[in-house]
Amino acid sequence: MAKRIVVDPIPRIEGHLRIEAVLDGNNTIKDAYSSGTMWRGLELILKGRDPRDAWAFTQRICGVCTTVHALASIRCVEDAIGAEIPPNARIIRNLMNATQQTQDHLIHFYHLHALDWVDVVSALSADPKATSELAQAVSPSWPKSSVGYFKDLKTRLTTFVESGQLGIFSNAYWGHKGYLLPPEANLMAVAHYLEALDFQKEIVKIHAIFGGKNPHPNYLVGGMACSIDPNSDMAINIEQLNKVKQIIDDTNRFIDQVYIPDLIAIAGFYKGWLQGGGLGNYLAYGDFPESDVDDFSSLLWPRGAILNKDLSTIHDVDPRDMNQVKEEVTHSWYSYAGGDDSGLHPWEGETTPKPDAVPKMPYKHLDTDGKYSWLKTPRWNNHPMEVGPLARVLVAYAKKVPMIVDTVNYVLKTLDVGPEALFSTLGRTAARGIECKQTAGFMTHYYDKLVANIKAGDTKVFNDEKWNPDRWPSDCKGFGYTEAPRGALGHWIHIKDGKIEDYQIVVPSTWNASPRDSNGKSGAYEAALKGTPMADPEQPLEVLRTIHSFDPCLACASHILDMNGNEITTVKIS
Amino acid sequence: MKINVLGLGNIILGDEGFGVEAVKYLESNFSFSPQVNIIDGGTQGIYLLDYIESTDCLMIFDAIIPTDYEFKVYVYRNEELPAFIHRKLSSHQVGLSELLSVAKLHGKVPTEIALIGVPPKSMKMNIGLSDEVKKLVPEAVELGINIINEWMQEL
Repeated sequence: MAKRIVVDPIPRIEGHLRIEAVLDGNNTIKDAYSSGTMWRGLELILKGRDPRDAWAFTQRICGVCTTVHALASIRCVEDAIGAEIPPNARIIRNLMNATQQTQDHLIHFYHLHALDWVDVVSALSADPKATSELAQAVSPSWPKSSVGYFKDLKTRLTTFVESGQLGIFSNAYWGHKGYLLPPEANLMAVAHYLEALDFQKEIVKIHAIFGGKNPHPNYLVGGMACSIDPNSDMAINIEQLNKVKQIIDDTNRFIDQVYIPDLIAIAGFYKGWLQGGGLGNYLAYGDFPESDVDDFSSLLWPRGAILNKDLSTIHDVDPRDMNQVKEEVTHSWYSYAGGDDSGLHPWEGETTPKPDAVPKMPYKHLDTDGKYSWLKTPRWNNHPMEVGPLARVLVAYAKKVPMIVDTVNYVLKTLDVGPEALFSTLGRTAARGIECKQTAGFMTHYYDKLVANIKAGDTKVFNDEKWNPDRWPSDCKGFGYTEAPRGALGHWIHIKDGKIEDYQIVVPSTWNASPRDSNGKSGAYEAALKGTPMADPEQPLEVLRTIHSFDPCLACASHILDMNGNEITTVKIS
Repeated sequence: MKINVLGLGNIILGDEGFGVEAVKYLESNFSFSPQVNIIDGGTQGIYLLDYIESTDCLMIFDAIIPTDYEFKVYVYRNEELPAFIHRKLSSHQVGLSELLSVAKLHGKVPTEIALIGVPPKSMKMNIGLSDEVKKLVPEAVELGINIINEWMQEL
């Protein structure tokens, strides 16, 4: 009989995610089940509302992904009503999106994922002099690397840890033998953890400038709500644009001089940790349109799908095609009028919860043969797909996007590994860094474009042609997409007589964390965990590494079960 | 001297959105000098760090469940605070206590902190507060304004 470990909740993630993993006699995961244990019924409360307000509610779905839902929502409504936006609005949206993506990846790497690889407690025994030497070797141009700097940090960190209030550093498996960095590398990483925490606050100030406020910047169907006037105090002016430029330059510098060198330095110690690849199927809707959002050839992040790790064939993706993207509920706590095993395209989607099927608390195991998650099961042409930075980087790499090819090859060469190393947990983490460098570059690109337009006298950011619902078709459907930090995000709307008739959202974590489908095929998390050897099932560090590498937007607990399926330990992580 | 007034919570989960509704009420019914910043923080977790580290006085409105759960407005100040801030802000499970611990590690903790909270009646997915909680908003805001005035006189 197999051991089953239950990780519920997984720390440092958003929401409620539970993982049940079945171990073989050697403590290797032979099967895994992923369950979203929180009901999300936003679709239902949007019914009957003004479509122009949908962005303001959809951005509240999640504390992390506000701006991406706002963007997908306005694109979706504009698609339905046929609204066109001025070029400046598109540039500003792209700039804000690149800003969000860059900041989010930086936060994810340092504050949510690094602690799976960096042992904070080990950093306390580092030699500040050796740390300084290491830091200067890793990031030669980065100024914060003196012996005094690391000595001071070590003192502060020691006081902090000795106070017993670990705060952000609690809920980790310090001292686990899976941590391979020497104390000096750990101390350097903690220093950059704190620097990144300080620095990320600056990046998002761009949102406050273009969105009027932050958090929750303003979006507008038909354009943007900000006004541009280089000489006015009441609009986006020269002074603010200069500030934006400063932030963008600092961001690029931080990524080039700190993030990428850290990523490579840390990955160098974990080169052997190549599990966690999973499905080998990747899906990207693409993003960063240079012209109309429907001109897919203009997307800086290309659209496409890869199956079975085959980079020689990129499949076309069309989320409007009623046969491509479908959601099933065979193993989800929902029911469909036409039968739970049928897949429904989001435009004909149904959100009918089946709460009676949810096991009553406390329960030991989920009924993994039956329904076991609040997440539906999205499939693309019946294939389970992974979405996110790795999917985007692989599609761009396979499509030979020059900058991605260069950065990927640089990282692979520096680490002395082949492209096959990308299909792993570490590959996912590296892809996020590669992508972050790219999106920081996009920030400069969009800033330059915007300034050129303003200099040429174009300050238009809003097109009111379709603002009035009288000018909309009485019955229309739309699709809006974006590549959120966590992956392909789609919003589908049906508008009738100026009101929302139906709204369906398929979020990246639903693709990645989905339960099995009607054919019994595993979702991306489930597949990625298979084959992972665990050093100590009571300290499921390996599970956290792989799940965190997806940057989940959900939360989870660890109950450890014995060979007969009985629970032997609960790893309570709250 | 700078005062940040932060409304926390999720407006699509009924009374969970109390903090955000309270600061909206505060903003639309009162005016303040520029040193007072009113922020709809939502459930932004770690993204809110700047608003905590960059201020002298921090006021937080939030839906809370105190241990003795009586339906009224609760006010906690400074050292009274820690026992009641275990609730996760949902954004990557970073809560107010974690944010304050980071601020401490950075050496940037506000000198004055006040938390004004109301226990939720309903946290079902729904836009808008329950009638019961809605009734407590003006009182909560008034208690907040008294503290803001006190801060402005003292500091």
